Amino acid sequence: MKQRQLPTPPIAPLLWTIAAFAVAAAPHLAAVPLQIAIAILALLGWRIAAALRGWRPIPAWLRVLITLGLLVLVGISFGGLWGRRTATALLCIMLAAKMMELYRVRDLRLVASVSFFLIATQFLFDESLIYLAYLILGCWIATLALVRIQQIRNLGQRLEDRGLDGHPMIAHSARLLALSLPVALVLFVLFPRLAQPLWGLPDDALDGKTGLSETMSPGSIASLYADDSPAFRVVFESGRPPPPQQRYWRGPVLWQFDGTTWERAYFSLTPARTAVPIDGQSIRYEVQLEPHERRWLLALDYPAQSNFPGSKVTADYQLVSRQPLTSLTAYDVISNPNFQDSPELGQYQRSIATRLPSDRNPRTVAMAQEWRERYPDDLELIQALLRWFREEPFFYSLETAPLGRHSADEFLFDLRTGYCEYYSSAFAIFLRAAGIPTRVVTGYQGGYWNEGGQYMLVRQSDAHAWNEVWLEGRGWTRFDPTAAVSPSRIQQGSASALDDSRFLLDLPWVNELRNRIDRIQHLWNQWVLGFDAQSQLNLLKRLGLPELSSSQIGLLMILVLLAVTLPLSLMLLREARRQSSSPVERAWRHLQRRLGRRGLGIHPSEAPLEWAARIACQLPEQREEIERIAQEFRRAHYGPNDPQRSERFIEASRRFRLFDHHRDHQATEL
Amino acid sequence: MSAVATLRNAVQIRLDRWVKRRARATPPLRLAYRQIFILPTRFGWLLGLLMFGMLLGSLNFNNNLGLLTTFIVAGLALNSMLLAYRNLRGLKIQRCMARPVFAGQPARLRIDLINDEARPRPGLQFECSEAFCEVDLPANASGEAELELPTRARGWMNPGRIGIRTTYPTGLFTGWAWFWPERSILIWPRPAESPPPLPLGQGQESGREVRREPEGESFHSLRNWRQGDPLHRIAWKASQRHQTLLSREFRAEQSDHLMLDLDRAPGRDLEERISVLTAWVLQADQEQLPWTLSAGGQILGPDFGDAHAHRCLDVLAEL
Repeated sequence: MKQRQLPTPPIAPLLWTIAAFAVAAAPHLAAVPLQIAIAILALLGWRIAAALRGWRPIPAWLRVLITLGLLVLVGISFGGLWGRRTATALLCIMLAAKMMELYRVRDLRLVASVSFFLIATQFLFDESLIYLAYLILGCWIATLALVRIQQIRNLGQRLEDRGLDGHPMIAHSARLLALSLPVALVLFVLFPRLAQPLWGLPDDALDGKTGLSETMSPGSIASLYADDSPAFRVVFESGRPPPPQQRYWRGPVLWQFDGTTWERAYFSLTPARTAVPIDGQSIRYEVQLEPHERRWLLALDYPAQSNFPGSKVTADYQLVSRQPLTSLTAYDVISNPNFQDSPELGQYQRSIATRLPSDRNPRTVAMAQEWRERYPDDLELIQALLRWFREEPFFYSLETAPLGRHSADEFLFDLRTGYCEYYSSAFAIFLRAAGIPTRVVTGYQGGYWNEGGQYMLVRQSDAHAWNEVWLEGRGWTRFDPTAAVSPSRIQQGSASALDDSRFLLDLPWVNELRNRIDRIQHLWNQWVLGFDAQSQLNLLKRLGLPELSSSQIGLLMILVLLAVTLPLSLMLLREARRQSSSPVERAWRHLQRRLGRRGLGIHPSEAPLEWAARIACQLPEQREEIERIAQEFRRAHYGPNDPQRSERFIEASRRFRLFDHHRDHQATEL
Repeated sequence: MSAVATLRNAVQIRLDRWVKRRARATPPLRLAYRQIFILPTRFGWLLGLLMFGMLLGSLNFNNNLGLLTTFIVAGLALNSMLLAYRNLRGLKIQRCMARPVFAGQPARLRIDLINDEARPRPGLQFECSEAFCEVDLPANASGEAELELPTRARGWMNPGRIGIRTTYPTGLFTGWAWFWPERSILIWPRPAESPPPLPLGQGQESGREVRREPEGESFHSLRNWRQGDPLHRIAWKASQRHQTLLSREFRAEQSDHLMLDLDRAPGRDLEERISVLTAWVLQADQEQLPWTLSAGGQILGPDFGDAHAHRCLDVLAEL
């Protein structure tokens, strides 16, 4: 491979370009596997050191080798899984690899402009309010880099920094960015939105923190309890939240148990056979769901219908969407808490709901069969079991041990310490062993009512698992074994169920502050992130415009854009008038006018010294004086500012007089 | 010339004619919207593509912050376009000239600029065929750009169209204007590298003529009055006719009279003789000898000094 000579870019534009990339990549770096982040930082560090110390560029063959190595690193780190995280990690690593050949103006420009792209991709993962600061800072630094790169003078092989008015660059680029905001806002509000996505999204779970999973094996969602980030927020039409006993937010319903893991049944996703009726007691509310990369939409028991496009209510009354939810999603739901689910249970469903692997949990099975004989009535048996939970030394705790092959046995007879997953799993195994159809429901329970904001906040730490048991004449009925052990978990929320504070800062006033901040986030979600095709139509309707098609909205956007940019452009293009002239200039012009009256004025194309030379020929006796005045003007006007020199020139120009006899003499001669 | 080149040439001519028709195209001129054109640069197109990707992705996922980022970049691009235009608008191009040079030497085309607005105009790039230079104009200041044009043959050279362009402030858009110099550049002949010695005292007719006439005896010619000429030498009548002071010159003053005749200069062809003559003119000027040039039916001199040399070189260039 031919090694081309690479130019050396000036240091300031180079460092700003690297800064633009570093700022844009920072949140990505925090999320990608550590080895990738280290590789990226190493390349950045190398480029900065190379610039400061004048190191030589890496030879081309080595660049290729390192780049291939980095690709392999990404492949290994993500295990070949292709998703948005992999794609952005790849983008980051490619830009970092570009650091190795960040020498020409176009390299710098490429990195600075792709930084904008990198900023936009970050919002596929998180759109919290704090990222507004990231957006603005990132765009600003990237703009600054572009402006700075523009100052490079290209002298063929050598690049030179013109370093025009060095420090105002920061303010200059901030102004440039600020000027682009009006346009950005008009486009944001009026750009025609898509009601349906153009293409689907890959089903990839990201970052592991995105909430409930589709399966449950005791111990798997432990991390969620320590995660206080919001899962969703709810605004009730009545303005009041339902009583705590009704705050069960239904997520995946799990039927299949293989001994360790609970999973959904395939018929879970078929549409409900019986529609949930809507009556006077129905609860109407709007949910703003944080993206969780899955297809379920959380709703109170039992969801009747939702306005979310493509959503449906399944056979076990989960509300699901057609697409994974990758950005903040708002939807309206109507739920009826007094619905009777499946008064008749089909033979097939009954067999699924009572199935257990045969070689597991012998102690539990033995005890269940013994109890079956003692309590022929299903309800009595269940109540006995809940009483047993309550009376025996069972504890609610997040600090638990993992369970082995006979999970229910180990939990019910040995460990006796755990949280909802442990209880609901053991509860279901016990009842199934007794021949009672039981399933596990996961979702969220509870929620914090933000009085000031009039909305309910449900956090990831409110994740919960409970059971539904099919009872003759009552259908599927909710039982919460965790409540038997720790009633406060249900009454007051997850945080109250634990003896110790989960965090160092779990203090009342800190929580109060957090709730206030969450209110701002809620407004942000409502007005900025939740803004979609529907809200756009609503907004236009509120402004008194009739229902518009998206091409009409586009036209409206162009008109408003013109209305905004026209005054902006006029302001920008306003002529910056010459500053009021200096005393030196005024004296000079006065002298020119005086001589002009005698036919010795300066021509527009003449420089001061040229003019002096010309008229000195005509006035040989005053030659020296004229030339001196012209010199003084030149120094005073174009030279560094020097008040004394200016004064001298002004004085000399005032004193200057033409020798009149000279002109007369010449005139007669000619 | 290939068909494509012919076509391109034809288009170029039409384009130039159109540009010239639109507005004043020779200095002095002040750039206004009729002269200024603006288009995205290659980098601008690239960013446009990137923006399109960001737009599609953000719209698809209804990702509002992604959209906001995209639209901020769009606003930035729009402002860049305005500012690139503003960087040229109102700039005064006062003059665009070049002093004559010898063929083979670069002609320095000087462009005098005036920025009479209270904001700087950074990054003004000038180009004319292959030549390129870049100038930053501070606020309320004048400046000059210099383009070094390569020259080959003697005679009048038309530098053609000069472009002034800027990609300030972000390099996304390039704004440009075209103008033409007021006049062509005169290229003097290339002086012969090792010319024969000046034809002094070789008895040839084209050589030195030594006249033994006493001073003031034989009137030779009139020439422009120069400082130091005695008053009695002034040809008052002739001066009145020509509206300028003329002095009488006498042959006897130039006892070392040098006659440089194109027809008698050594050389195989006309160009070679011209270049020998050019070298002689320069040599004579340097040695401060008066000389007479006879070329193409014109007789200049006898005279000496820079002005005479320039006139002689002009005549040789235009032959």
